[in-house]
Amino acid sequence: MTQLQSHSSEPAWNLPELLVRVENDQELLRDLLHIFKEGFPPMLQSLQSALAASDWKNVVAISHKLHGMLSNLAATRAAAAAGELETFASTGDHGAIRGILARLEQETTNLGIEIDAYLNGVRA
Amino acid sequence: MKILIAEDDPISRKLLQKALERSGYDVVAVENGKQALEALCALDAPRLALLDWVMPELDGPAVCRAVRKRTEQTYSYMVLLTSKDTKEETVVGLESGADDYLTKPFNVEELRARLRVGERILLLEDRLVEARENMRFRATHDPLTSILNRGAILDLLNRELHRSQRENKSTAILLGDVDNFKRINDSLGHLVGDEVLAEIARRLLGAVRSYDFVGRYGGEEFLVVLNSCDPAHGPTRAETIRKSISKPIMTTKGPLTVSMSLGVLQSAEWGPRSLEELLHGVDAALYEAKAAGRDCSRVAKPPANSLLPAPPPELLRHTR
Repeated sequence: MTQLQSHSSEPAWNLPELLVRVENDQELLRDLLHIFKEGFPPMLQSLQSALAASDWKNVVAISHKLHGMLSNLAATRAAAAAGELETFASTGDHGAIRGILARLEQETTNLGIEIDAYLNGVRA
Repeated sequence: MKILIAEDDPISRKLLQKALERSGYDVVAVENGKQALEALCALDAPRLALLDWVMPELDGPAVCRAVRKRTEQTYSYMVLLTSKDTKEETVVGLESGADDYLTKPFNVEELRARLRVGERILLLEDRLVEARENMRFRATHDPLTSILNRGAILDLLNRELHRSQRENKSTAILLGDVDNFKRINDSLGHLVGDEVLAEIARRLLGAVRSYDFVGRYGGEEFLVVLNSCDPAHGPTRAETIRKSISKPIMTTKGPLTVSMSLGVLQSAEWGPRSLEELLHGVDAALYEAKAAGRDCSRVAKPPANSLLPAPPPELLRHTR
């Protein structure tokens, strides 16, 4: 993931909430983060390709899946961006989509940095 | 308890799987709706299911609709998981056949509580099915011997006669009557008589094939229906049954030897006749066996004309 400047000083994810969700199972948490790190880049790439091709059905499907994935990781702002993408793509209001995609990319970049820091044992 | 998780998002799937395994569930996890439907329709299928709404191949509501169409299966308790949380979507989800609805990201404790509700409903369903099966058994079986009662054996006989006629096969009807049964009741008491009847029923069941039928026709009368039975074999089967009955029966008043007389009728030899005519015919053959000294069997021969000259079965039974 490319490193971009965050708009917010708040963490990209709510780690305490996520720890509650995994019932404080650190091993499970690490597994989930690895799944995200492996699964997210190809999904983002598919989303970008679908947008470039104006394949709105696919944009809706991928952004929906991303919304679920990011919500589960308590990455609230990134999940909100994915949710907006899904809504705008499905309602045919495509004007704002490029801006939302940029926000999603930035939020997930920040999330990636925080996840790496967590996995390396250093909280950002 | 086995539970199905159908979720295409690997993070959500892993989270659910861990949470449910911690609660003691035996988890089956799949990635799309088609796999979910296959798992829910398989033998020994999970009866609890968590289905994501949006999935590849088939979505959660489509899986629910397909499962609900299969009425012959035991009930599956299905919970839809989704980020869709408007009232309209809730209605669509529940109308598709889902039992409950949970929005993502889910709260683990809420998820477990809702699944416990599902378990309670499944337990209730099991009890209802068990009660219905008990009632069905009581309606079709004789309480003393646990074999088919008169109504049930006659229904099955009627069905088999139609089938054998369609398939050009023969059904053998055996009507057996315990010889001098009244003497047992009079000398040893009705409880011993009941023991004898129960043991005879057991022996009859042991003497026929798994797909033949045995029923209690009257007090000490038993009706045996041998499906797809070669006409040459009917009398032999009757003799096998008669010999199995003649072995001593252990009762609470000591060993007792009883005998049985039998009438045998092969439907193929009688052609298309009504159930009543055939029962009349086999009853007449049983009467012949009684008249010949009991403890033997006689084959019913079709009369030359279509009407049987013998008196009605009720009258014959009084003369034994």
